[in-house]
Amino acid sequence: MGKPLFETALRELEERKDDIRPSDIVLFSEPLRSALNTVIRLGRFSLTEFTETLPFSREEVKRLADLLIQRNLFELSRFATEAEPYYQARLSAMTRPLKRPPSDIWKKIDD
Amino acid sequence: MSKIISVHSFRGGTGKSNTTANIAALLAMDGARVCVVDTDINSPGIHVLFNLDETEMAHSLNDYLWGQCSIEEAAHDVTGHVGGEIKGQIFLIPSSIKPGEIARILREGYDVGLLNDGFRDVVDKLKLDYLLIDTHPGLNEETLLSIAISNALVIIMRPDSQDYQGTAVTVDVAKKLDVPKMLILVNKTPSSLDPNDVKTRVEQTYDAKVGAVLPHSDEMMSLASSGIFSIHFPDHAVTKGLRSLVDQIKS
Repeated sequence: MGKPLFETALRELEERKDDIRPSDIVLFSEPLRSALNTVIRLGRFSLTEFTETLPFSREEVKRLADLLIQRNLFELSRFATEAEPYYQARLSAMTRPLKRPPSDIWKKIDD
Repeated sequence: MSKIISVHSFRGGTGKSNTTANIAALLAMDGARVCVVDTDINSPGIHVLFNLDETEMAHSLNDYLWGQCSIEEAAHDVTGHVGGEIKGQIFLIPSSIKPGEIARILREGYDVGLLNDGFRDVVDKLKLDYLLIDTHPGLNEETLLSIAISNALVIIMRPDSQDYQGTAVTVDVAKKLDVPKMLILVNKTPSSLDPNDVKTRVEQTYDAKVGAVLPHSDEMMSLASSGIFSIHFPDHAVTKGLRSLVDQIKS
Protein backbone atom coordinates (compact mmCIF):
# COMPACT_ATOMS: atom_id res chain seq x y z
CA MET A 1 0.00 0.00 0.00
CA GLY A 2 2.88 2.37 0.82
CA LYS A 3 4.74 1.60 -2.42
CA PRO A 4 2.70 3.75 -4.88
CA LEU A 5 2.63 6.57 -2.33
CA PHE A 6 6.40 6.35 -1.92
CA GLU A 7 6.93 6.34 -5.68
CA THR A 8 4.70 9.40 -6.03
CA ALA A 9 6.61 11.23 -3.29
CA LEU A 10 9.94 10.25 -4.83
CA ARG A 11 8.83 11.37 -8.29
CA GLU A 12 7.56 14.72 -6.99
CA LEU A 13 10.92 15.44 -5.38
CA GLU A 14 12.95 14.17 -8.32
CA GLU A 15 10.95 16.27 -10.78
CA ARG A 16 11.84 19.44 -8.90
CA LYS A 17 15.14 20.69 -10.22
CA ASP A 18 15.30 23.89 -8.14
CA ASP A 19 15.34 24.49 -4.41
CA ILE A 20 12.07 23.74 -2.64
CA ARG A 21 10.23 26.96 -1.89
CA PRO A 22 7.42 27.56 0.64
CA SER A 23 4.89 27.58 -2.23
CA ASP A 24 6.04 24.11 -3.36
CA ILE A 25 5.04 22.56 -0.04
CA VAL A 26 1.39 23.49 -0.66
CA LEU A 27 1.44 21.59 -3.96
CA PHE A 28 2.99 18.31 -2.77
CA SER A 29 0.67 15.32 -2.47
CA GLU A 30 -0.10 13.48 0.74
CA PRO A 31 1.50 12.09 2.83
CA LEU A 32 4.63 14.00 1.79
CA ARG A 33 3.03 17.41 2.38
CA SER A 34 1.91 16.68 5.95
CA ALA A 35 5.24 15.07 6.81
CA LEU A 36 7.15 18.11 5.56
CA ASN A 37 4.80 20.46 7.39
CA THR A 38 5.50 18.57 10.62
CA VAL A 39 9.29 18.61 10.36
CA ILE A 40 9.44 22.21 9.13
CA ARG A 41 7.68 23.23 12.36
CA LEU A 42 10.01 21.03 14.40
CA GLY A 43 13.05 22.73 12.85
CA ARG A 44 15.55 20.05 13.94
CA PHE A 45 14.63 16.36 13.90
CA SER A 46 16.08 12.87 13.49
CA LEU A 47 15.57 10.35 10.71
CA THR A 48 13.55 8.30 13.21
CA GLU A 49 11.21 11.26 13.79
CA PHE A 50 10.87 11.89 10.05
CA THR A 51 10.14 8.18 9.48
CA GLU A 52 7.36 8.35 12.10
CA THR A 53 5.56 10.95 9.96
CA LEU A 54 5.43 8.72 6.85
CA PRO A 55 4.04 5.23 6.10
CA PHE A 56 7.36 4.22 4.48
CA SER A 57 10.35 2.18 5.58
CA ARG A 58 13.35 3.90 7.17
CA GLU A 59 15.40 3.23 4.03
CA GLU A 60 12.73 4.82 1.81
CA VAL A 61 12.49 7.84 4.08
CA LYS A 62 16.28 8.17 4.01
CA ARG A 63 16.10 8.32 0.18
CA LEU A 64 13.57 11.14 0.43
CA ALA A 65 15.70 12.95 3.01
CA ASP A 66 18.76 12.69 0.75
CA LEU A 67 16.75 14.26 -2.07
CA LEU A 68 15.50 16.98 0.25
CA ILE A 69 19.13 17.79 1.12
CA GLN A 70 19.87 18.13 -2.61
CA ARG A 71 16.87 20.45 -2.96
CA ASN A 72 18.14 22.53 -0.03
CA LEU A 73 15.11 22.02 2.20
CA PHE A 74 17.06 19.82 4.64
CA GLU A 75 20.57 20.25 5.97
CA LEU A 76 22.41 17.53 7.79
CA SER A 77 22.70 18.72 11.39
CA ARG A 78 25.98 18.75 13.26
CA PHE A 79 24.32 16.41 15.77
CA ALA A 80 24.03 13.72 13.07
CA THR A 81 25.75 10.39 13.56
CA GLU A 82 26.07 7.47 11.16
CA ALA A 83 23.47 5.53 13.13
CA GLU A 84 21.04 8.40 13.51
CA PRO A 85 21.06 11.25 11.01
CA TYR A 86 19.69 14.54 12.31
CA TYR A 87 18.41 17.23 9.96
CA GLN A 88 17.40 20.86 9.99
CA ALA A 89 14.55 21.98 7.78
CA ARG A 90 15.08 25.41 6.28
CA LEU A 91 12.58 26.96 3.90
CA SER A 92 14.18 29.40 1.55
CA ALA A 93 13.48 31.43 -1.59
CA MET A 94 14.55 34.69 -3.13
CA THR A 95 11.72 37.21 -3.25
CA ARG A 96 13.27 38.80 -6.35
CA PRO A 97 16.05 37.61 -8.65
CA LEU A 98 19.19 39.66 -8.12
CA LYS A 99 19.94 40.93 -11.61
CA ARG A 100 22.58 43.52 -10.97
CA PRO A 101 24.86 44.56 -8.10
CA PRO A 102 23.62 47.28 -5.76
CA SER A 103 24.61 50.76 -6.82
CA ASP A 104 24.70 53.92 -4.70
CA ILE A 105 21.22 54.89 -5.94
CA TRP A 106 19.71 53.92 -2.59
CA LYS A 107 21.95 56.29 -0.69
CA LYS A 108 21.05 59.04 -3.12
CA ILE A 109 17.35 58.42 -2.56
CA ASP A 110 17.86 58.62 1.22
CA ASP A 111 19.88 61.82 0.86
CA MET B 1 7.45 26.18 25.01
CA SER B 2 7.50 29.28 22.82
CA LYS B 3 4.87 29.82 20.14
CA ILE B 4 5.13 31.49 16.76
CA ILE B 5 1.93 33.25 15.73
CA SER B 6 1.33 34.76 12.29
CA VAL B 7 -1.26 37.48 11.89
CA HIS B 8 -2.45 37.70 8.32
CA SER B 9 -5.12 39.17 6.09
CA PHE B 10 -5.63 38.66 2.39
CA ARG B 11 -6.39 42.29 1.79
CA GLY B 12 -5.02 45.50 3.28
CA GLY B 13 -6.87 47.80 5.67
CA THR B 14 -8.35 45.05 7.80
CA GLY B 15 -6.63 46.20 11.01
CA LYS B 16 -3.90 43.57 10.94
CA SER B 17 -1.12 45.64 12.50
CA ASN B 18 -3.48 47.08 15.11
CA THR B 19 -4.61 43.60 16.04
CA THR B 20 -1.03 42.29 16.18
CA ALA B 21 0.01 45.13 18.50
CA ASN B 22 -2.98 44.54 20.76
CA ILE B 23 -2.38 40.79 20.95
CA ALA B 24 1.25 41.52 21.88
CA ALA B 25 0.22 44.00 24.58
CA LEU B 26 -2.40 41.68 26.09
CA LEU B 27 0.04 38.76 26.18
CA ALA B 28 2.71 40.95 27.79
CA MET B 29 0.21 42.30 30.34
CA ASP B 30 -0.17 38.68 31.45
CA GLY B 31 3.59 38.43 31.97
CA ALA B 32 4.75 36.97 28.63
CA ARG B 33 7.92 37.89 26.78
CA VAL B 34 6.72 38.82 23.31
CA CYS B 35 8.41 39.98 20.13
CA VAL B 36 6.60 41.44 17.13
CA VAL B 37 8.27 41.27 13.71
CA ASP B 38 7.05 43.65 11.04
CA THR B 39 7.51 41.61 7.85
CA ASP B 40 5.34 44.04 5.91
CA ILE B 41 8.52 45.36 4.34
CA ASN B 42 6.69 47.04 1.45
CA SER B 43 4.47 49.15 3.71
CA PRO B 44 5.74 49.07 7.32
CA GLY B 45 3.66 50.76 10.00
CA ILE B 46 3.35 48.83 13.24
CA HIS B 47 6.20 50.83 14.84
CA VAL B 48 3.79 53.79 15.02
CA LEU B 49 1.48 51.85 17.35
CA PHE B 50 4.44 51.18 19.65
CA ASN B 51 5.53 54.83 19.52
CA LEU B 52 8.91 53.85 18.13
CA ASP B 53 10.39 56.84 16.36
CA GLU B 54 12.57 56.44 13.28
CA THR B 55 15.46 58.07 15.14
CA GLU B 56 15.30 55.31 17.77
CA MET B 57 15.58 52.53 15.17
CA ALA B 58 19.26 51.71 15.41
CA HIS B 59 18.63 48.68 13.23
CA SER B 60 15.68 47.25 11.34
CA LEU B 61 14.67 43.95 9.79
CA ASN B 62 16.15 45.24 6.53
CA ASP B 63 19.60 45.51 8.17
CA TYR B 64 19.32 41.92 9.36
CA LEU B 65 18.31 40.72 5.88
CA TRP B 66 21.32 42.53 4.39
CA GLY B 67 23.67 40.97 6.95
CA GLN B 68 24.37 44.27 8.68
CA CYS B 69 23.24 43.19 12.15
CA SER B 70 22.06 40.16 14.08
CA ILE B 71 18.33 39.61 14.48
CA GLU B 72 18.44 40.47 18.20
CA GLU B 73 20.24 43.73 17.42
CA ALA B 74 17.22 44.67 15.28
CA ALA B 75 14.87 44.02 18.24
CA HIS B 76 13.88 47.13 20.22
CA ASP B 77 12.47 46.90 23.72
CA VAL B 78 9.25 48.90 23.48
CA THR B 79 7.74 47.83 26.81
CA GLY B 80 8.06 51.33 28.24
CA HIS B 81 6.57 52.92 25.12
CA VAL B 82 3.07 51.49 25.37
CA GLY B 83 1.91 52.68 28.81
CA GLY B 84 -0.29 50.48 30.97
CA GLU B 85 0.83 47.83 33.41
CA ILE B 86 2.99 45.40 31.46
CA LYS B 87 4.28 42.52 33.59
CA GLY B 88 6.19 40.92 30.74
CA GLN B 89 8.26 42.46 27.99
CA ILE B 90 7.57 43.57 24.42
CA PHE B 91 10.17 43.72 21.69
CA LEU B 92 9.62 45.04 18.19
CA ILE B 93 11.67 44.28 15.08
CA PRO B 94 10.57 47.09 12.76
CA SER B 95 10.95 47.26 9.01
CA SER B 96 12.79 50.27 7.74
CA ILE B 97 10.71 53.32 6.84
CA LYS B 98 13.47 54.95 4.82
CA PRO B 99 12.28 55.26 1.22
CA GLY B 100 15.66 54.20 -0.18
CA GLU B 101 15.76 51.07 1.96
CA ILE B 102 12.20 50.09 1.03
CA ALA B 103 13.02 50.67 -2.64
CA ARG B 104 16.22 48.65 -2.35
CA ILE B 105 14.53 45.61 -0.84
CA LEU B 106 11.75 45.74 -3.43
CA ARG B 107 14.27 45.94 -6.19
CA GLU B 108 16.86 43.46 -4.98
CA GLY B 109 14.71 41.10 -2.99
CA TYR B 110 16.14 38.92 -0.23
CA ASP B 111 16.36 35.31 0.79
CA VAL B 112 13.29 34.44 2.84
CA GLY B 113 15.38 31.66 4.36
CA LEU B 114 16.99 34.40 6.45
CA LEU B 115 13.57 35.10 7.95
CA ASN B 116 13.28 31.40 8.76
CA ASP B 117 16.65 31.53 10.60
CA GLY B 118 15.93 34.89 12.20
CA PHE B 119 12.56 33.85 13.63
CA ARG B 120 14.09 30.80 15.28
CA ASP B 121 17.17 32.69 16.53
CA VAL B 122 15.24 35.54 18.08
CA VAL B 123 12.95 33.13 19.95
CA ASP B 124 16.04 31.53 21.55
CA LYS B 125 18.13 34.64 22.11
CA LEU B 126 15.39 36.78 23.65
CA LYS B 127 13.89 33.78 25.50
CA LEU B 128 10.49 34.55 24.04
CA ASP B 129 7.15 33.06 24.99
CA TYR B 130 5.57 34.38 21.79
CA LEU B 131 6.85 35.59 18.45
CA LEU B 132 4.17 37.51 16.54
CA ILE B 133 4.65 37.94 12.80
CA ASP B 134 2.83 40.86 11.23
CA THR B 135 2.70 39.69 7.62
CA HIS B 136 2.30 41.47 4.32
CA PRO B 137 -1.31 41.26 2.99
CA GLY B 138 -1.96 38.69 0.27
CA LEU B 139 0.04 35.56 -0.36
CA ASN B 140 3.71 35.41 -1.29
CA GLU B 141 6.71 33.28 -0.38
CA GLU B 142 7.37 35.21 2.87
CA THR B 143 3.78 34.81 4.01
CA LEU B 144 3.76 31.11 3.19
CA LEU B 145 7.01 30.68 5.11
CA SER B 146 5.55 32.49 8.11
CA ILE B 147 2.45 30.30 8.05
CA ALA B 148 4.50 27.13 7.49
CA ILE B 149 6.56 27.62 10.65
CA SER B 150 3.78 29.06 12.85
CA ASN B 151 2.02 27.25 15.66
CA ALA B 152 -1.01 29.47 15.27
CA LEU B 153 -2.45 31.69 12.56
CA VAL B 154 -4.86 34.57 13.07
CA ILE B 155 -6.63 35.54 9.84
CA ILE B 156 -8.29 38.92 9.88
CA MET B 157 -11.19 39.81 7.63
CA ARG B 158 -13.98 42.35 7.44
CA PRO B 159 -17.56 41.39 6.65
CA ASP B 160 -17.02 42.46 3.04
CA SER B 161 -17.45 40.44 -0.17
CA GLN B 162 -13.86 40.94 -1.35
CA ASP B 163 -12.54 39.88 2.04
CA TYR B 164 -14.77 36.80 2.03
CA GLN B 165 -13.27 35.56 -1.23
CA GLY B 166 -9.66 36.37 -0.33
CA THR B 167 -9.99 34.81 3.10
CA ALA B 168 -11.15 31.58 1.46
CA VAL B 169 -7.82 31.41 -0.38
CA THR B 170 -5.83 32.02 2.80
CA VAL B 171 -7.80 29.46 4.78
CA ASP B 172 -7.29 26.88 2.04
CA VAL B 173 -3.53 27.46 1.96
CA ALA B 174 -3.31 27.42 5.76
CA LYS B 175 -5.10 24.07 5.83
CA LYS B 176 -2.60 22.69 3.32
CA LEU B 177 0.21 23.90 5.58
CA ASP B 178 -1.41 22.11 8.57
CA VAL B 179 -1.32 25.10 10.90
CA PRO B 180 -2.01 23.59 14.33
CA LYS B 181 -4.34 26.41 15.33
CA MET B 182 -6.22 28.73 13.00
CA LEU B 183 -8.50 31.51 14.26
CA ILE B 184 -10.45 33.95 12.14
CA LEU B 185 -10.99 37.44 13.48
CA VAL B 186 -13.87 39.33 11.91
CA ASN B 187 -13.03 42.99 12.34
CA LYS B 188 -14.87 46.29 11.85
CA THR B 189 -18.30 44.67 11.94
CA PRO B 190 -21.10 47.24 11.47
CA SER B 191 -23.54 47.54 14.36
CA SER B 192 -26.36 46.56 11.96
CA LEU B 193 -25.03 42.98 11.87
CA ASP B 194 -25.62 40.45 14.65
CA PRO B 195 -22.15 39.25 15.78
CA ASN B 196 -23.46 35.74 16.48
CA ASP B 197 -24.92 35.49 12.97
CA VAL B 198 -21.64 36.70 11.49
CA LYS B 199 -19.70 34.14 13.54
CA THR B 200 -21.96 31.28 12.47
CA ARG B 201 -21.88 32.28 8.81
CA VAL B 202 -18.10 32.68 8.69
CA GLU B 203 -17.51 29.38 10.51
CA GLN B 204 -19.83 27.56 8.11
CA THR B 205 -18.29 29.20 5.06
CA TYR B 206 -14.68 28.33 5.89
CA ASP B 207 -15.09 25.35 8.20
CA ALA B 208 -12.73 27.19 10.55
CA LYS B 209 -13.05 28.63 14.05
CA VAL B 210 -13.90 32.30 14.53
CA GLY B 211 -11.85 33.66 17.45
CA ALA B 212 -13.81 36.89 17.78
CA VAL B 213 -16.18 39.23 15.97
CA LEU B 214 -15.15 42.80 16.74
CA PRO B 215 -17.49 45.75 16.22
CA HIS B 216 -16.57 48.78 14.18
CA SER B 217 -15.31 51.31 16.71
CA ASP B 218 -15.29 55.09 16.47
CA GLU B 219 -12.89 55.13 19.43
CA MET B 220 -10.43 53.03 17.41
CA MET B 221 -10.70 55.51 14.54
CA SER B 222 -10.20 58.43 16.93
CA LEU B 223 -7.13 56.83 18.48
CA ALA B 224 -5.76 56.78 14.91
CA SER B 225 -2.90 54.38 15.64
CA SER B 226 -1.40 56.76 18.21
CA GLY B 227 -1.37 53.99 20.79
CA ILE B 228 -2.55 50.52 21.68
CA PHE B 229 -6.31 50.35 21.90
CA SER B 230 -6.60 47.71 24.64
CA ILE B 231 -4.42 49.85 26.92
CA HIS B 232 -6.37 53.05 26.23
CA PHE B 233 -9.80 51.38 26.35
CA PRO B 234 -9.49 48.33 28.65
CA ASP B 235 -13.25 47.91 29.12
CA HIS B 236 -14.32 48.41 25.50
CA ALA B 237 -16.12 45.62 23.57
CA VAL B 238 -13.21 45.51 21.11
CA THR B 239 -10.75 44.91 23.95
CA LYS B 240 -12.99 42.18 25.39
CA GLY B 241 -13.07 40.48 21.99
CA LEU B 242 -9.30 40.75 21.67
CA ARG B 243 -8.87 39.38 25.18
CA SER B 244 -11.02 36.39 24.23
CA LEU B 245 -8.88 35.86 21.11
CA VAL B 246 -5.69 35.97 23.21
CA ASP B 247 -7.11 33.43 25.64
CA GLN B 248 -7.77 31.10 22.70
CA ILE B 249 -4.24 31.62 21.38
CA LYS B 250 -2.82 30.76 24.81
CA SER B 251 -4.99 27.71 25.38
